[in-house]
Amino acid sequence: MPRASKRKAAPASSSSVTAPPPDQSRSRTAKATSKTRLKESDQIDNLFDTYANSSLGQIDPEGIETLCSDMKVEYTDVRILMLAWKMKAQRQGYFTKDEWQAGMKALKANTLLKLVKTLSELKKEAEAPQNFEDFYSFAFKYCLTEEKQKGVDIESTCELLKIVLGYQFPSQVDSLVEYLKVQKDYKVINKDQWMGFLRFCKEISFPDMANYDENQAWPLILDNFVDWKKQKSGGR
Amino acid sequence: MSNQKKRNFQIEAFKHRVVVDPKYADKTWKVLEHAIHEIYNHNASGLSFEELYRNAYNMVLHKFGEKLYSGLVSTMTSHLKEISKSIEAAQGESFLEELNRKWNDHNKALQMIRDILMYMDRTYIPSNHKTPVHELGLNLWRDNIIHSSKIQSRLLNTLLELVHRERTGEVIDRGLMRNIIKMLMDLGSAVYQEDFEKHFLEVSAEFYKVESQKFIECCDCGEYLKKAEKRLNEEIERVTHYLDAKSEIKITSVVEKEMIANHMPRLVHMENSGLVNMLLDDKYEDLGRMYNLFRRVPNGLLTIREVMTSHLRETGKQLVTDPERLKDPVEFVQRLLDEKDKYDSIINKAFSNDKTFQNALTNSFEYFINLNARSPEFISLFVDDKLRKGLKGVSEEDVEIILDKVMMLFRYLQEKDVFEKYYKQHLAKRLLSGKTVSDDAERSLIVKLKTECGYQFTSKLEGMFTDMKTSQDTMQGFYASHPELGEGPTLVVQVLTTGSWPTQPSSTCNLPSEMSALCEKFRSYYLGTHTGRRLSWQTNMGNADMKATFGKGQKHELNVSTYQMCVLMLFNNAERLSYKEIEQATEIPAPELKRCLQSMACVKGKNVLRKEPMSKDIGEEDAFFVNDKFSSKFYKVKIGTVVAQKESEPEKQETRQRVEEDRKPQIEAALVRIMKSRRVLDHNNLISEVTKQLQQRFLPNPTEIKKRIESLIERDFLERDNVDRKLYRYLA
Repeated sequence: MPRASKRKAAPASSSSVTAPPPDQSRSRTAKATSKTRLKESDQIDNLFDTYANSSLGQIDPEGIETLCSDMKVEYTDVRILMLAWKMKAQRQGYFTKDEWQAGMKALKANTLLKLVKTLSELKKEAEAPQNFEDFYSFAFKYCLTEEKQKGVDIESTCELLKIVLGYQFPSQVDSLVEYLKVQKDYKVINKDQWMGFLRFCKEISFPDMANYDENQAWPLILDNFVDWKKQKSGGR
Repeated sequence: MSNQKKRNFQIEAFKHRVVVDPKYADKTWKVLEHAIHEIYNHNASGLSFEELYRNAYNMVLHKFGEKLYSGLVSTMTSHLKEISKSIEAAQGESFLEELNRKWNDHNKALQMIRDILMYMDRTYIPSNHKTPVHELGLNLWRDNIIHSSKIQSRLLNTLLELVHRERTGEVIDRGLMRNIIKMLMDLGSAVYQEDFEKHFLEVSAEFYKVESQKFIECCDCGEYLKKAEKRLNEEIERVTHYLDAKSEIKITSVVEKEMIANHMPRLVHMENSGLVNMLLDDKYEDLGRMYNLFRRVPNGLLTIREVMTSHLRETGKQLVTDPERLKDPVEFVQRLLDEKDKYDSIINKAFSNDKTFQNALTNSFEYFINLNARSPEFISLFVDDKLRKGLKGVSEEDVEIILDKVMMLFRYLQEKDVFEKYYKQHLAKRLLSGKTVSDDAERSLIVKLKTECGYQFTSKLEGMFTDMKTSQDTMQGFYASHPELGEGPTLVVQVLTTGSWPTQPSSTCNLPSEMSALCEKFRSYYLGTHTGRRLSWQTNMGNADMKATFGKGQKHELNVSTYQMCVLMLFNNAERLSYKEIEQATEIPAPELKRCLQSMACVKGKNVLRKEPMSKDIGEEDAFFVNDKFSSKFYKVKIGTVVAQKESEPEKQETRQRVEEDRKPQIEAALVRIMKSRRVLDHNNLISEVTKQLQQRFLPNPTEIKKRIESLIERDFLERDNVDRKLYRYLA
């Protein structure tokens, strides 16, 4: 867990926090700003306390729901997932204080308003090619709620696919989801297969899938998917 | 040389050199010219060699070489022109004879002339780059006789005519031919080739083209080949007798091309007589002939091989997929062995053991034997049959021969692990029922399997033999330590080590009290000497010998399975028993119990029980009685031996499933082994490595391998490389 950094980036007064390089500048610690810093971190903490479950010391699912409605964002919005990613949240549905602080600071947001504003930036950041795979991978890990759990059930996988990949690769996701629901070989999707889906969307032309070679190292589930799809469209 | 004193002496010795008498040359030449004439007119005897030689010598010496040479040329030329006329004048048959005669004369003359002019030959000619006399003589002959317009084509035609006549069966004067041809050869290979050989080959090609067309319309394949062979041999003989040896290869190519190469496909595929028919009818001679002829032409043997292969594959495929055949596994395998023997014979006798044909045979067998997924099972059943009874009374060498043949079929199998599974099952049954004909034969086969597949393949099988031996010793020890049991029923126990024997789920069965007591005694004896072990009785695998007395006093000894024994013993205490009662008392599971009762009540000759009603099937409400009217001509009656049988569908599925299950860890082990040593490897290479490692046992399915790889990834044995998605990395 990254320790909550007390360093701030640009002066807190400017409300628009443009896309990071996060935490790059070492601020000159003038005595004048230290007060503001403290004030900001207090704000962050206060915000945390607003939503946290006091007995747990963490924000729980209910708190997150409230947070969402306050932000006027859907609970199932992908940006919430991205927020969790930014916070490097370990447990689905919960934010610890450390995670919260780290995330807010990274987003340069100390008020709810700022947080809302940064969400769109955050989306762009997560979708950036160099970050997306990391986010995508995180999304899967985030769903592994039990200790030692290695796979995510089909139902949840389908939902996750829609959220995470739905707008970038709509037709692939639709087909994949349809297939996952009818196939019987696998009841759970593991990390390797999950990453395979992303690779498939990125590399394979769709819907013809002409450049798919099942003799390559694609996960078996995708071989089967390609066969199924080809049969459906009447090709052999 | 003195000068003043001897002035009166005039040495005139050198006078001749200095005097250049123009007439001298002419005179001398005339002498020589005359001599040449005489020589050509067969009048040489009157000439003085020494004088002529001197004359020639002098001419050259006095620098009249030019005159001499050109004189020679013109004289000879004019003689040759005359000779030419006389040859032209010859009629019909005598043309060649005349030519031959004149040629001989010319050679003799030339010889003499050369001798006379030898000095010129050695001095004037080389220094003036003229053609030497002998060669000159040949060239002049060539130009004036052979290439004379009236002779050239006539000579060629005559020669070709003679060859043609000989080919059509006439006898010709071979000696004469030889001389003429030799003449052409002497005149230079260019003459031989241009004036004879080239045309000879062309005409021959035409001749054989026509003949082969004629033959192929009217002959069948075997006859045609005989004729072709005959012609080929004729040509070779012709060359030996009167052509240049270098022509042999050329003329044989012509024959080969026209008679064989051009008609190969038609011959091979000829209906009712082509290659396939020859193979079917074991026509060794014809096949051998075909082999010898076809090997001379490009792709000849390839053609034979291809046709043989496709025929063999087709036949083999029919053999293994014919539903009639599949009913009898032993017959099935026997037919395969017969087919193999047949082709071994053919390749041996007709194809001179050609290795490429042996390989084609092997490939074909490998192809069709694996078309039928039950081949491994059937081969094991064949062996089982042989080891149970087929090899009875067969000599040791013959046993070896049969087993070696079986091993050959085994090698063709792709799924050797399936064979192993069945072999284990069948071996277990043989050993436990004591039904093997020859222990030596059994062991011999194990050794062969071990040589073929390695120790692991056979270690369990050997374990089974060891168990049998150990059990014998154990039984001896048991009875030695319990002498009081000598009176009661005799117990024979075989203790099987779990890992080595095929697993059979053993089911419940209540043994009659006499037996269970005995079994307990054994159990405590055994566990006394082997602590830490667990024994479980396999009641489904045992058998018993029982003495029975029937209603009319008939006594018989019955050999039955353990289950049957339990049922029969019940009748010592009851006259009538219902199915339900039997079931309750014995606790044998229903399907086995029904089968067991059926074999004792519904089979003629073995019906020691009587059933009411008399139907064939066992109903829950049926009642059973001892069959007092039971009769058999044998004293010892065998009911229900556990014979290895071809599996039923569900059993087959089960076995297949177990084999598949067993393969998974083997694939994984291979994967881990390979990745551990290579560290990083790409997908396709990994698949091929794994396949190579496992091919001794079975052919792994690439999809199955992929599944195993994914399983290993999930369990963190392997990972995919981050950058290159085709690579796998070993995680220590």
